[in-house]
Amino acid sequence: MKKLALLCLFILGLGFALISFKGLAQQGEFDSIILDFKEEVPIATISQEIEELSRKYNQKVNLNSVFSIDDRVYIVNGDKKVLKELKRSPLSKDTEYIEANYLYHALEVPNDPEYSKQWNFRNINIEKAWDETKGEGITVAVIDTGVSKVPDLKLTKFTKGYDFVNDKDDASDDHGHGTHVAGTIAQSTNNGYGVAGIAYKANIMPLKVLAARGGGTIADIAESIKFAADNGADVINMSLGGGGASNIMEEAVKYAHNKGVTIIAAAGNENRNSSSYPARYPDVISVSAIDSAGNKAPYSNFGAGIDISAPGGSEGAKIIQNTVDPRSGESVFVGFQGTSMAAPHVAGVAALVRATGVEDPNEVRDILKQSSRKVQEDHLNHFGAGHLDAGAAVELALKGNITFNDFFRWLRKSGYLNLGFWIDGGAVALLPKIGMVIGSYLLAWFLRNYLPMTLGLNAGLIFGSSGLFFLQGLYWFDLPQWPMRLAGSSIPELGNVVLGNTSLNPLFASALIPFGLIILLIGSNLRWFAIGSSVGVAACLAVSALTAPSLWLLGSGAIAQGYLMINALLCLGLAYLASQKEKQRA
Amino acid sequence: MGLSEMKVTGKMEMKGFGFGVWALVSEDGTSYELKDYPTELEEAGIEVEVTGKIREDVMTTAMIGPVLEVESYKKLS
Repeated sequence: MKKLALLCLFILGLGFALISFKGLAQQGEFDSIILDFKEEVPIATISQEIEELSRKYNQKVNLNSVFSIDDRVYIVNGDKKVLKELKRSPLSKDTEYIEANYLYHALEVPNDPEYSKQWNFRNINIEKAWDETKGEGITVAVIDTGVSKVPDLKLTKFTKGYDFVNDKDDASDDHGHGTHVAGTIAQSTNNGYGVAGIAYKANIMPLKVLAARGGGTIADIAESIKFAADNGADVINMSLGGGGASNIMEEAVKYAHNKGVTIIAAAGNENRNSSSYPARYPDVISVSAIDSAGNKAPYSNFGAGIDISAPGGSEGAKIIQNTVDPRSGESVFVGFQGTSMAAPHVAGVAALVRATGVEDPNEVRDILKQSSRKVQEDHLNHFGAGHLDAGAAVELALKGNITFNDFFRWLRKSGYLNLGFWIDGGAVALLPKIGMVIGSYLLAWFLRNYLPMTLGLNAGLIFGSSGLFFLQGLYWFDLPQWPMRLAGSSIPELGNVVLGNTSLNPLFASALIPFGLIILLIGSNLRWFAIGSSVGVAACLAVSALTAPSLWLLGSGAIAQGYLMINALLCLGLAYLASQKEKQRA
Repeated sequence: MGLSEMKVTGKMEMKGFGFGVWALVSEDGTSYELKDYPTELEEAGIEVEVTGKIREDVMTTAMIGPVLEVESYKKLS
């Protein structure tokens, strides 16, 4: 008895939880309603109904567009309340559906006023990436001429940096290059000012290794790489280069790589067929530059050692960020070009990839390269693996990780969280189903003296009355849905599970199968399952008779109802008799 | 001349990287980024002969070519 009560409570609780949850699908914005009139309804009738509707709500009811005439799609202004009323009105008989005219928004576009000038961000498909992450929690070390906190970096997070040139903590920029590079990575975005940056929720670690004139020693650079790795940098950007290979630099790069830092560097601006150092090191991602047309920028190095390409700009279209003009000390928005500008694009996207949870620098590199847009004819390796694609990179990084976002999206798509899905009886009519399960337990309770509450009996009750009905609405990614429908169907419904229609098959919706099961299983361990399913089927048929009798060949009228009720009684009788036999035996 | 010293003759050019970077473009087309040079040389088109050292241990933001540390120079035009 306690088990019965608990089970009923569980089912009711589940029902209430699902009913009261405001599904994500129900939170769409709308201020108008779609009415799709059926083809067979004469135009005169539609006109009349439209007029009445118009008068009742004092609203204009219009065709959606000139193309809607054939489809008879009309729009009327209204809110949730109006939608509900319309759905319940006699109008619903003449319409195929009445539903909310949801407003769709494009992907998030930041409110930075000069964002439209940033062709480079559209080029790398950044908005799609921002749908998933903005680089929160990731630290990007900018090893450069320093970074000054210009106005459009005001909201950007900074971690402790260092000035290796002048040996002090304050790593401000006296050249203008480093601040610009930091802007591409994490310019304050959506702050209603200036321009945007890629991983704008990431932290910047400013490391000054280049002097005012733009040059620095390998020793300082190597030290800064180690500093970054030892102080929590996840990504390093080096928009610098020159010279040849050096042991101290190679060691520093290896050290940081082994500590899990993803290192990116500019390929160089000599239009040479090999990458400069440090980009050339195997553990460093070397970035060549493309212009706004997707061609290799005239100055950019290419060929040996190039891993990937990204927007670096050219004379015609540059990369705009906020920086400091060394001549005046003032903040300026200025366009620069160079592989120096291309590298921070990759660093920013690397930060986004890391923010999704991918940590290993080799994995980050592979994701960046694999997701890049391949260029068909690239004999001279202008582009490495291809053009950087932030949206594709983040998507690839998330594949295989079931994130919270993914789960909700799937739930939404499957209609599972949709209130209307349950109440409108889309795939599963919840209330009758609950009625069937409860009904079967009530019947079992009546016969309690003869029915022991075993697992077999419970399984039979559920399988006979409703099946695991909540599975019917489940769509698990791309897997076939029929196993769900099967497990989610009661015995009477099995007759139509494969075809998927809602009319019951008279053979299945009868005492025939319970009879068969009892005969087969009465002598075995599964006898209580057979008896339970007979009780369950009785409840199922009885509830069906009372709510929605619809039998194939027998229609939905009195005959169907009678058929179902008679069979329900037969099932109950069979269960009683079989359990009597069991009691006698015991 | 010392071991790593070399003489480069070429024209001064302003390259459009950052706020501008001065390069000595030699006859064979190689661009050299000058290090420690006087502002007197910051004039587009003038011909100069520079004697100096290639600094392989220096890296820069410009990345336009080898870094040539100026030891002495002669304006030719």
